[in-house]
Amino acid sequence: MMQARRRTLATAFALIVASMLSAGAGRAQSTAALDPEKLAEIRDQNAKCFSCHSPAGLKSPPRQDMDLARLGTMLHDPALYETSSHGRVECRTCHGVGATTFPHGADLKKQVSPCSECHAAKVFRIETQFEASVHAKTQKDKFTCWSCHDGHVYNVAAKIGAPRKIIAQDNAMCLDCHNSDLQFSKFAPVEKRRPNIDAIHEWLPNTRLHWQAVRCVDCHTPAARGFSHEILDKSKAEKNCVACHSQESALRTRLYRHLVAEEQEQLGFVNSVFLSTSYVIGASRNPWIDRAVGVAAALLILGMLGHAALRIGSAWWRRRGRRPT
Amino acid sequence: MKTRIYLLPLWLRLWHWANAALIIVLATTGASLHFSDSAFAVVPFARAARLHDIAGVAMVVLYIAFVIANAVTGNWWQYVPKPPGIMERSLRVMRYYAFGIMRGERDPHEPTPDTNFNDMQASAYLVVMYVAMPIVVITGLIFMFPQTAPDRLFGFDGLFPVAVLHYVTGAAVVLFAILHVYLGTLGHTATSQYKTMITGWHEGDLPSGRTSSRRVR
Repeated sequence: MMQARRRTLATAFALIVASMLSAGAGRAQSTAALDPEKLAEIRDQNAKCFSCHSPAGLKSPPRQDMDLARLGTMLHDPALYETSSHGRVECRTCHGVGATTFPHGADLKKQVSPCSECHAAKVFRIETQFEASVHAKTQKDKFTCWSCHDGHVYNVAAKIGAPRKIIAQDNAMCLDCHNSDLQFSKFAPVEKRRPNIDAIHEWLPNTRLHWQAVRCVDCHTPAARGFSHEILDKSKAEKNCVACHSQESALRTRLYRHLVAEEQEQLGFVNSVFLSTSYVIGASRNPWIDRAVGVAAALLILGMLGHAALRIGSAWWRRRGRRPT
Repeated sequence: MKTRIYLLPLWLRLWHWANAALIIVLATTGASLHFSDSAFAVVPFARAARLHDIAGVAMVVLYIAFVIANAVTGNWWQYVPKPPGIMERSLRVMRYYAFGIMRGERDPHEPTPDTNFNDMQASAYLVVMYVAMPIVVITGLIFMFPQTAPDRLFGFDGLFPVAVLHYVTGAAVVLFAILHVYLGTLGHTATSQYKTMITGWHEGDLPSGRTSSRRVR
């Protein structure tokens, strides 16, 4: 009884904290609706940073006393940044005001604000998922949000919208390490060799086609929880094809969760929201066509059974008629 | 007159049974894939996908072999209903299947080497083998190599119409195959046509002097 009450109180407390923190998340998201003046100011500010920290900046640096070799390791594409989810955030919001003067402080990089500063509610939610993930189990100290999400280019799935673009972005995040011995070795234990990505997915029919049509995380996260940051290794990853290849496809709560609200059962198909991107066998189904096939099969079988019964009956009748009395 | 004629050459019988075996595998695995979350899914999905691919490739090869063999041997002519009187003869066959067979009447068509099929069979097999099967084979090939499908079609993924056509036509072929199994029992005895398809020999019952039912009106 006491335990139950304690659990209830803990849940209530967690909800209150989460709602307080979500105010922070609101701040992070409110940047989407900026007035043009503020937007121009942000662009001006960021242009100052990109005057050095971009390929163009490296080519013609505004100052002669810069360490160009070092600068070359810290370049960003202004166009990509502009279209990223952080595109309307000033560089100094994360990098601090120390970044606005040159030369920058020696350990400026260490002073980058943690993601939780703006994304408090998200981090709060994600942290427990991440704690259970394979990445936390094997390299907790090395792994940060940035290990996967490069804030200079990353877009949240809802902003991207088009599934193929979401897939390309999200799978690239995994493959950056899991398809590169060099990157893999930066995180993995010394004795761990990078498994060949094609070889370990050999069991999956049309492997390459899957990688164009779903994200790694659509299988490598727990099935029952919608989308999660609990990345699973191969021993726990989804291997039941029917999880996605069925009318109640898990893709509805994963890759397509941002689009499911727009589901309109186009042409009478269930999961028609997939059809703009993929035909998913077992999931892309039209109940009317299936019913028509079923009715045709039933009529055919009934017709054959009826015909056979009449044949047998009439043959018996004829034999009976010929029987001598 | 009791006749015994060699009706079906070995290559045709081998093709027929290989085709039958592949259709069974393709129908079972195809249903397991399409109706993956139902009682029709008798083969686990991943295995069904692999088997359907393997049997599909075999079917493509077999179908091409069938078309070539038909062209070379002249057997393709069997699939062409010959005018005049196609409708009239077809109606006679339909009437026989509906009523005549119940009364113990003689089949209006007696197969001969030059007219193996009755007109209804010829029309049906012509549509199934030269219209439906090419659709299933070609859409199946595109399904197997989806990069050959158009990227987008009418605002949908390019594979979508291909997949729907493959399913619907495949289902029609399977339904025809089921009917075909039953129609196979409508010979002189329930098993005589099955025997013919195994041995190649047809034990007929031609009226004296006739070599083909088509020539008699």
